[in-house]
Amino acid sequence: MKVLVPVKRVVDSNVKVRAKADETGVDLANVKMAMNPFDEIAVEEAVRLKEKGVATEVVVVSCGPAICQETLRTALAVGADRAILVDAGDVELQPLAVAKILKALVAKEAPQLVVAGKQAIDDDANQVGQMLAALQGWPQVTFASKVDVADGKAKVTREIDGGLETLEVPLPAVITADLRLNEPRYAKLPDVMKAKKKPLETTTPAELGVDVAPRLKTLKVSEPPKRQGGGKVADVADLVNRLKNEAKVI
Amino acid sequence: MAILVIAEHDHASLKAATRNTLAAAARLGSEVHLLVAGSNAGGAAAQGATAGAARVLLADAPQYAEQSAENLTALIVSLAGGYSHILAPASSFGKNFLPRVAAQLDVAQISDIVGIVSADTFVRPIYAGNALATVQSADAVKVISVRSTAFDAPPESAPAPVENVTATADTGLSKRLGQELTKSERPELGAAKIIVSGGRGLGSGENYKKILEPLADKLGAALGASRAAVDAGFVPNDFQVGQTGKIVAPQLYIAVGISGAIQHLAGMKDSKVIVAINKNPDEPIFQIADYGLVADLNDAVPELVAAL
Amino acid sequence: MSTYAAPLNDMRFLMNEIAGLKDILALPAFADTVDADTVDSILEEAAKFAAEQIDPINIIGDRKQSPKWDNGVVTVSPEYKKVSKLFCENGWHAMPGNQEFGGQGLPSLVNFAVNEMWRSASIAFALCPMLTMGAVHAIEHHASDDLKQKYLPKMIDGTWGGTMNLTEPQAGSDLTAIRTKAVPDPSGDGTYRITGTKIFITWGEHDMAENLIHLVLARLPNSDPGLKGISLFLVPKFLVSDDGSLGERNDLICSAIEHKLGIKGSATAVMSYGDKVGAKGWLIGKEGNGVAYMFTMMNHARIHVGLEGIAVAERAYQHALAYARERIQGAIIGDAESKTTPKPILFHPDVRRLLMDMKSRTEALRAIGYFAAGQMDLAKSPDPATAKKAQANLELLTPIVKGWSTESSIDITSEGVQVHGGTGFIEETGAAQYYRDCRITAIYEGTTAIQANDYIGRKTAREVNKETGETGFTARALYKEIAAFADELARDAKLGDIGKELQEAAKALIDTTEWAIKTYGPEPQVASAGSVLYLKLGGIVLGGWLLAKSARIAQKKLDAGETDGYYKGKIATTRYYAKHWLVQAQALKREITEGGPSVLGLDEPLF
Repeated sequence: MKVLVPVKRVVDSNVKVRAKADETGVDLANVKMAMNPFDEIAVEEAVRLKEKGVATEVVVVSCGPAICQETLRTALAVGADRAILVDAGDVELQPLAVAKILKALVAKEAPQLVVAGKQAIDDDANQVGQMLAALQGWPQVTFASKVDVADGKAKVTREIDGGLETLEVPLPAVITADLRLNEPRYAKLPDVMKAKKKPLETTTPAELGVDVAPRLKTLKVSEPPKRQGGGKVADVADLVNRLKNEAKVI
Repeated sequence: MAILVIAEHDHASLKAATRNTLAAAARLGSEVHLLVAGSNAGGAAAQGATAGAARVLLADAPQYAEQSAENLTALIVSLAGGYSHILAPASSFGKNFLPRVAAQLDVAQISDIVGIVSADTFVRPIYAGNALATVQSADAVKVISVRSTAFDAPPESAPAPVENVTATADTGLSKRLGQELTKSERPELGAAKIIVSGGRGLGSGENYKKILEPLADKLGAALGASRAAVDAGFVPNDFQVGQTGKIVAPQLYIAVGISGAIQHLAGMKDSKVIVAINKNPDEPIFQIADYGLVADLNDAVPELVAAL
Repeated sequence: MSTYAAPLNDMRFLMNEIAGLKDILALPAFADTVDADTVDSILEEAAKFAAEQIDPINIIGDRKQSPKWDNGVVTVSPEYKKVSKLFCENGWHAMPGNQEFGGQGLPSLVNFAVNEMWRSASIAFALCPMLTMGAVHAIEHHASDDLKQKYLPKMIDGTWGGTMNLTEPQAGSDLTAIRTKAVPDPSGDGTYRITGTKIFITWGEHDMAENLIHLVLARLPNSDPGLKGISLFLVPKFLVSDDGSLGERNDLICSAIEHKLGIKGSATAVMSYGDKVGAKGWLIGKEGNGVAYMFTMMNHARIHVGLEGIAVAERAYQHALAYARERIQGAIIGDAESKTTPKPILFHPDVRRLLMDMKSRTEALRAIGYFAAGQMDLAKSPDPATAKKAQANLELLTPIVKGWSTESSIDITSEGVQVHGGTGFIEETGAAQYYRDCRITAIYEGTTAIQANDYIGRKTAREVNKETGETGFTARALYKEIAAFADELARDAKLGDIGKELQEAAKALIDTTEWAIKTYGPEPQVASAGSVLYLKLGGIVLGGWLLAKSARIAQKKLDAGETDGYYKGKIATTRYYAKHWLVQAQALKREITEGGPSVLGLDEPLF
């Protein structure tokens, strides 16, 4: 069974992002980039499926500028077998476009399972996995916290508001990874050295016949309103009084 | 054209986030319809009738019992023709099927809106709320998930008519094997009006319970935690509020022994009122707190419980 | 609390533009091992490991659970154990090792950058692999094949640790005073029995490795009383059978660990050898060569201690910067807006100065360090002229990297405390730890005075070209190159002001060097009295040179349309350094050339 894992290159989660003063976007000059943390979890899950003998090949895909190769190499270093870069240059890829690119790759690669991160920490859209499932007419399981694959089916526990639920879906299917699905491993140095020798193929949206024109236009990106914090209260009595009579929240 | 809101419910009753989503829909200027898709969901439909929609559409069939993304999507897409906007709460419920609906309709989905500029232009947080993007959609149908904390629920309205709509066939793509819902008497973290949250300053899991539970009980609050407290093993992961945990915006957020790391602030800074209790006056949490109390939490919190 | 983020952009820039990574990767030793993309991936992965695993345990070792000694056994915190295990499992421990024994055979430059990350995250933790690899190098270069096969693979992968036992209570900087004895084993099996006490043994005992391999300097009976009578022995904690399994405990014990100012996360052991029958040891290489073997590793060891200084300075800067961005305190002078909209202390001019000082000096030190690390690799070039020049530069730069980086780190971490104000003096904020941790770096592996004496003496005044008879030719050639570059830069339309400061500073260094060469023979005490200042002068000018070179490359990139803020930052940082540090060269020249007699002027009883 082949598993396809889409990975996105995003701002490192430790970086505090700010909107640019001219409100045209966020300031990403000189900012550390990394693999989207949820995608790391997805790659880890796919690699574990391979280690368990459930999957036979893990193929990772990244869509974006050529530099996304770095992210693919990271995935290869932790155990993916092969990588595909969909070089879209500087075009902004929105979730629907990415889902369509993945659909074209699914047609070529015929994976039985796609494991994606539940969302990217840059645009926080949380859409690609579900969209791909829709375009394929496949079942989906989002927000997975536990995955078992056997006999052409996936039994997946997912995190929902208020608890957990377990679904069973026939393969092929799309699963999106939540935070607690697993703890991604660190790449081992010898594997980092070998990653360069693993195949990395490059294609483009045009070659795949996918129209990636954005559907949403970003008019501006601004700083969120700043909280006027910094108020202090004298003691517990003062606090209770203010919460009751000033803020009226209790 | 009218606007369709997808109700989040447990069949018997409507979830609060549905009302917030209806409030957002009402701002779009057209007639709002509420779709209740469930099994034996008359109770939820009845509550939906007074929640502010002009009409309630009830699709009552066994294939909606599990609320699977596949079956809900089939239903919504079958109804989509008459609508300019399709909205759902940006909860784990709405996030599950809404992108699927959008892709079926070949339109973009606009996630997690916190503001409405016009019928085609919306404000949504990106980078865990560190920036706000104003986006405009040119698609024929706008498919939108709504951050419920950003829209106040409307008052109860006169009952709207409830109409049955034809159920779509079971897609048979997904089967629920089981559910484990948290049995806590406390409200869920994501929907709570008041959250009491603890950090590393509590020192231990034992102390977390001893100090914070009485306060949460008294206030009917949900319990949360900083990543530091989760990493230190005081509480399970699903207590975590922050960039990688839950993003919350309750009416009142009480941060106890939390220093206020950037990642934590990203998850709670939209709370209406923030209280910080910490013995170190220089902690960054005090910079965003409305009411900061510099005190030893081991004394101050029990005192607070007694005073409430 | 800040989170460590490896300065990957500066590291990459220096490796590529200053240290010659491209040429290094083309060397026969590396061409088939690694390419530029892989180097990038290595840096990324190491940065992640350092930030997420090692950085968080730095505080634990220092203030929560330092290594504990109990009856000869040293226990570290569970967190140290866990990270150490992962560090070894993931192949980081083996990275600097020889490929033949399971290492990666990467260029020194790449190891240097990765090692900076480990040390920024925690010097105390990083010392353990550092010492093990020091022992590995000694065994690899000087021990018999049998010993190599038996010990190296497990030491390289981190299963076993290694230590260096030089110092004794009466033998610190002066190794001739060593008294530890080695006598041939009466059984005649070719081994030796070691007895004596060694102190200041970094990670001399701990529970992170299954076995510890101690390299011990000791005297054989009837040997030369000086340095030539000292031999090097391999003394394992547990004897190792021929099949590699661990046998009985050797006659050695950790009799205490020290209470220290800093690097408290590491165990600094007092080692007692041969309390019963003598610890069993194996001679490494030839009798009487122990100190010489140590010296062959000296450049490497000293450069790496210098790197500790660079690494801690970087970490302290990041820590101070994070605080200065968050902390709000008082309105900003000359900024009315800040009275109503509070701004963080980063906007106070003097906090800016402190941060610029920390940043620019750290970048200058890193530039020298990476340049020197690159010279280590280029010294292996098949082209004899390239190799010779690189080796000579490396020799010259080693005392600067060691002495100046570590001395500067004390200032820089102190500035980091200052940025924090009162809270910097409180341990909780973490700023103080960097200040305490770096203090040792200017002492161990040769104090700053020893480095300065090496720099002014052996590397400059006593360096004689056997063919031409010229003295200090490596230094003179390098400083001439700096002066020529400065002349060129002084004519640059955009960076001319920096070039002019470098011209003046280079001239001061050249003049002082001529004075040193002239003075060292006839007036050694006067030269020696100025030697640490001379080292400082060399460090300032070399750092300024490499920063100025960097600034010029950055300017060219900007002119070519690149927009990365890093390049703008590099120019601003260099300009600060030129106006605040290069200007000190003139004063140092006078201090060195005119101040010597005043150092020596007070008669001893009048002190």
